[in-house]
Amino acid sequence: MKLAPVDYLILAIYFGFVLGIGWRLRKSVESSRDFLTAGRSVPVWITSLAFLAANLGAQEVIGMSASGAKYGIMTAHFYWIGAVPAMLFVGVFMMPFYYGSRARSVPEYLKLRFDEKTRGLNALTFAVMTVFSSGISMYALGLLLQLVLGWSFTASVLLSAAIVLIYTLLGGLTSAIYNEVLQFFLIVLGFAPLAIMSVAKAGGWSGIESRLPSVMTHSWKYMGDASQNPMGVEVFSMVAGLGFVLSFGYWCTDFLVVQRAMAADSMSAARRTPLIAAFPKMMMPFIVIVPGIAALAIAKMNIGYALPLKGDGYDYDQAFITLMSHFYPSGMLGVGLTALMASFMSGMAGNVTAFNTVFTYDIYQGYIHKGAPDAHYLKVGRITTVVGTALSIMTAYLAQHYNNIMDLLQLVFGFVNAPLFATFLLGMFWRRATGHGAFTGLLTGTTFAALTHGLTVAEHKGGWIAPLHPFPSTMAQNFWIAIFAWTSCFVVTIVVSLLTKPRPAEELQGLVYGLTKVPHDTGVSWYRKPAPVAVLVIAVLLVLNFWFR
Amino acid sequence: MLDLRATTGWFFALLGVILAALGVFSPGLRASLTDLNVNLYCGIVMIAFGGVMLLFARKRS
Repeated sequence: MKLAPVDYLILAIYFGFVLGIGWRLRKSVESSRDFLTAGRSVPVWITSLAFLAANLGAQEVIGMSASGAKYGIMTAHFYWIGAVPAMLFVGVFMMPFYYGSRARSVPEYLKLRFDEKTRGLNALTFAVMTVFSSGISMYALGLLLQLVLGWSFTASVLLSAAIVLIYTLLGGLTSAIYNEVLQFFLIVLGFAPLAIMSVAKAGGWSGIESRLPSVMTHSWKYMGDASQNPMGVEVFSMVAGLGFVLSFGYWCTDFLVVQRAMAADSMSAARRTPLIAAFPKMMMPFIVIVPGIAALAIAKMNIGYALPLKGDGYDYDQAFITLMSHFYPSGMLGVGLTALMASFMSGMAGNVTAFNTVFTYDIYQGYIHKGAPDAHYLKVGRITTVVGTALSIMTAYLAQHYNNIMDLLQLVFGFVNAPLFATFLLGMFWRRATGHGAFTGLLTGTTFAALTHGLTVAEHKGGWIAPLHPFPSTMAQNFWIAIFAWTSCFVVTIVVSLLTKPRPAEELQGLVYGLTKVPHDTGVSWYRKPAPVAVLVIAVLLVLNFWFR
Repeated sequence: MLDLRATTGWFFALLGVILAALGVFSPGLRASLTDLNVNLYCGIVMIAFGGVMLLFARKRS
């Protein structure tokens, strides 16, 4: 694949604009709060699109289209059962506590609600995890550009990291959020034409249905039995494991996304941020998953497109970008690749801005140096931004050389994350939950996750204690690990909480359901209220699930 | 403070003009799997999107 000068021109214009946004916003940063939390002043349409874009990294785009080619429309469960219900929950039910508590970060909320050790555990694992995952996605992007375009790994990694670093250093979180919106529009306008053209080429949805096995075009029909679908997952673990534990765990507790909503200019705007984001989120499968499915159908038509090979199988990760080169001429191809870079940058900026906030407020100010003037923390925030980026780059190179270590780390983080939602659910809705309960619950949940992995096998993974139970796929294994981790954390948190001393009610004002005044927006139109918007989202969601059943 | 609508509007208008110009002056640029003048059509859509964003920005100020 070869790019023309005009493609590079488009890439350069994009770089110019993102840096320009950072430059124009540099004066808005006067305090550490401006830099790290955007001073809670961003309009709701901007926070909504940023909420979506921060999660829409290059790995998401490449990975979801790859899954589309591999598993078919079932991949859409990650959106229609996974993400969207969780986004509704965080907006309607949890945001009042996050935003109303005046906490500056998710770990800080844990400190206010529970205690210092629960916060420390969460802050530390989150900080390490964000740096790590931004490094991993940097590696994935560098590898892909090297493979398809022949660009040097070092050049693409360093250049894209440097640009993200510059605009985040200049304008802080505000700059990252503003750029995420531009990146979101570019992703949609850059990828949607590919989706439309590839589906049209394959003869529309009915043409795809006639060319592929029926299991690829139905999301629910083959879910009754794990052996009937290529994911190897049955309906219970899909709904409970992915839909409930993993998705709620990510969208409701991960500071990377919650931070965007917390930057909104009012409580009502913070609550509506994930709800408004849910509309475009529901439609994302059409531009990231469907092209993957169409690629498979087109490959069967023998018209000069074949899925790239790797070893004796397909390299699904390359499906999206090779499809692009078969539909986009020079010019639009530049836009498409720029959109891919944009998705990478929005994901990376999301990680970097979440990392610097958690490190500065929850680790540095919490444990290393308390009580300094604000200017000091602003400086620390800026230095952390640079250090975080440098660590991500190092991780990307580590991933290049030691793939096994990365897999292991990813696994361990999965264990740490799986029980989190139980802790937050109890913390927000059960005032009797205590700090000791939360902390023991988290540790138990992580232990149970590791045990489940050690006692079960799927595709030769796990079973390092004793291979007691086989799973049809690693995906099914992951969902069940999550279910066990969540349940054990939930039970242990309740038991230990009942055995330990509760905190007095006055200390929990604004932190727990029943002791927090949830504002009722009176006198505004219905579309400015959270509940009606959520109902509308559910209606569309039901239609989508029914349509592609 | 920066008006993001205006910035987004200018960005896509500029991109759209480049693409549409390519579509008009090098109509022969085609990818292997389609006979459409992709640059022209995508360029027009981007100009329209950019224009709407600029209109929004203008209306407020």
